[in-house]
Amino acid sequence: MAVAHVPPSGTWYGATLKEWIFTTDHKKVGMLYFITSLVFFVVAGLFGLIIRFEQTAPGIHLPGMFGQEGADLYNYILTGHGAIMLLWWAVVVWGGGFANFLVPLMIGARDVAFPRLNSFSYWSFFGASLLVLLTLLPPNWIKMLWTGYAPYSMNDNAGPTSLYVLIVLLYSISSTGGSVNMITTIVSMRAKGIGWTKLNLFVHAIMAASLIQLFGVPALMGSVILLFTDKYLGTNFYNPMLGGDPLLYQHLLWFYSHPVVYVMILPAFGVFSEVISTMARKPIFGYISMALAIYAIAFVGFETWVHHMFVSGVPDWTRVLFSYTTLFVAVPTGIKIFNWVATLHKASIRYNTPMLFTFGGILMFLIGGLTGIPNAMVSIDLGISDSLFIVGHFHYVLGMALTFAAFSGIYFWYPKVTGRMYSEGLGKLSFWLMLIGANIMFFFQMYMGMANGMPRRYPDYPPIPEWVQLMQIQTVGALIMSVAILLSLINWVKSLWGPKADDNPWKSPSLEWSMTTTPVGPNNFKKFPVEVPDDWHPYAYYKGYHAHI
Amino acid sequence: MRKILVLLALSSGAMAEDIFAYPRAYWENSVTVWFWVAVAIYLIVAIPSVYFMVKYHYKPGKNEEGEHIEGNTALEIVWTVIPTIIVLFLGTYSFANFVKQRQAPEGALELKVTAFMWGWEIEYPNGKKVYTFFNQVADPEKNIYLMPEKIDDSVKAYIPAGKPVKVYCTSRDVIHSFFVHEARVTEDCVPGRITKLWFQFNKPGEYWVFCREYCGTWHSRMATVLKAVSEEEFNKWLGPTQGAQQPAPAEQAPQQATQ
Repeated sequence: MAVAHVPPSGTWYGATLKEWIFTTDHKKVGMLYFITSLVFFVVAGLFGLIIRFEQTAPGIHLPGMFGQEGADLYNYILTGHGAIMLLWWAVVVWGGGFANFLVPLMIGARDVAFPRLNSFSYWSFFGASLLVLLTLLPPNWIKMLWTGYAPYSMNDNAGPTSLYVLIVLLYSISSTGGSVNMITTIVSMRAKGIGWTKLNLFVHAIMAASLIQLFGVPALMGSVILLFTDKYLGTNFYNPMLGGDPLLYQHLLWFYSHPVVYVMILPAFGVFSEVISTMARKPIFGYISMALAIYAIAFVGFETWVHHMFVSGVPDWTRVLFSYTTLFVAVPTGIKIFNWVATLHKASIRYNTPMLFTFGGILMFLIGGLTGIPNAMVSIDLGISDSLFIVGHFHYVLGMALTFAAFSGIYFWYPKVTGRMYSEGLGKLSFWLMLIGANIMFFFQMYMGMANGMPRRYPDYPPIPEWVQLMQIQTVGALIMSVAILLSLINWVKSLWGPKADDNPWKSPSLEWSMTTTPVGPNNFKKFPVEVPDDWHPYAYYKGYHAHI
Repeated sequence: MRKILVLLALSSGAMAEDIFAYPRAYWENSVTVWFWVAVAIYLIVAIPSVYFMVKYHYKPGKNEEGEHIEGNTALEIVWTVIPTIIVLFLGTYSFANFVKQRQAPEGALELKVTAFMWGWEIEYPNGKKVYTFFNQVADPEKNIYLMPEKIDDSVKAYIPAGKPVKVYCTSRDVIHSFFVHEARVTEDCVPGRITKLWFQFNKPGEYWVFCREYCGTWHSRMATVLKAVSEEEFNKWLGPTQGAQQPAPAEQAPQQATQ
């Protein structure tokens, strides 16, 4: 075995630049994904701030350039904010960053099943990232939004369709490679004694998310390939003038793009479960129902896509049918929330930064979940479809619940990854500012969509005094949130020189804490193959169990 | 739950005379029911959470570890079954309102709407057409939206107050959406298809119509104004019907016979 060739005293990140580029190590690939994802998160966040400034007062304020209007620049910024936040942050931070680093450590494996495929997935993602940067040049502005609805996306007003298609295809290749890798790793590389009922819920979440990707991505690839052939090769799948149907695009797109929201949020649920159980020093309440709920959400998620098309002209009976299926998603998500609350019963709760971010994230998800119901109730959706209500809603769930979870996860595993302890004070300050800012921003966004019926994707709007006020309040929230995110970014950089962390600062029986050094060594585990006692469980937090750690 | 329903039935009965717009009234029914259900669920989750968070705070030496509790099957069944029932109730309540929101009453004024980048063409049964372009709803010097009272009456679509209006919508280029703002109803205008919606304003006034499906540069200014007026004034504005425009009634009779 190759074990002997690697000095066991080194750290996982100790390597030359050449090694970082040609690496197939899951930890390094994970970190490459994570850093890329975080950089794009910051870029898309700045795009979001530009959107806020544009909307703060009525009228178009962005400058036009290179023959394009200020409104075109807004449309480009909006496209960039949506596409990058969803695909570069919400999906990749989990499936690329967290999953790559953590899944092999959590199941007791030396690496993922196909390390070279893993590296290839990253570099095709990197290629897609470079193409995204190309769109910064004004002639390349893509203005078809991340959804790229046909036939608008074939119109020259929408920007270069070919670039959009190429980005999506490269991205899809990376997603498919990544999900194949995760599924194979989880199915076949678990250490002896780690059965399906002894997996971390984060691993279950990655498993379910990878299955969704594997089934869903082909529909997305199909939808954009047909778009490409329609525009450049003269086919007519979507062009109604030639007998095509624009709704075909929406069906193909949402067949992937609705389930993909669970690719984003299930790993966030996984992090909530890890952190809540660890910081409350109690086994997760109802482990089996928690795991089953994850797979139930993934399954039901494939039956709900038409709720994105409730006012698109599909038949009325279809809308009613999908209204019910969409509402059913509330049942398994409800189970998860109730189980998290029950986990706190008779617990011993430590209020540190990861726990605060998890509580905040669950709160944001609760509000986001309850405000998701009107989008599923077709009767309400007729009045709020494509309004700011839906924008506020998905910023509660995908925007904030997910980002709170990611921040919680970053703080939680920071000592294991870097070997250093983050600053608690700065982390807590960042949390409180983020909670306040996010709620000011997105609550009033939802309110504006429901009570005032303000449509979304509007850089300009009538100067109704109440609308202007509500927009200004949102901008205040967004500024507070930006400060909070900046504080966390400073914390993560500054703490690289912070105090050294123990091997298992959270006293967790989970393998990534209990069986590795801090920071993780190149061989992952102190002892390989990993062996666990019969009564081992990742959430075995109770008196007496620590004898085994 | 039943109490809320009774309250709602009472309140909607009391308001029946001064309903402002349809299908907004049905929409508001569903919103009200959702809102109280959501508030109730929020409290059911938030109150125990806060209680546990305060009570089971870690105190060194007192509660170093949590209790060894792994679950409770009965409880877990309860919070699977009850949400299922709530979900079925909400779906069915929404279904009942949805039917009314989609079903235009008899005798509605029928409009043909054609959306384009970026504006609206609204055609009346007698062939009269109203066009609104994106630059007509904004002040070009200040680069800012005009309020309805400042917009030229010639680009406004008149409708009779107190009478249902049914819209058949399509598009000339990309997908748009006809959003009757104060009536809280929208439907996409898809090229190659005809979609429909209906609404009714009971009070005379001027009401925005916005485009609600993203359609490019001037999506945010693809608006028009509906001017709801008394039926008498509306008929005066609309002018003669197609039948009356015919020069001689005698020529009309054979046409009808051949139909």
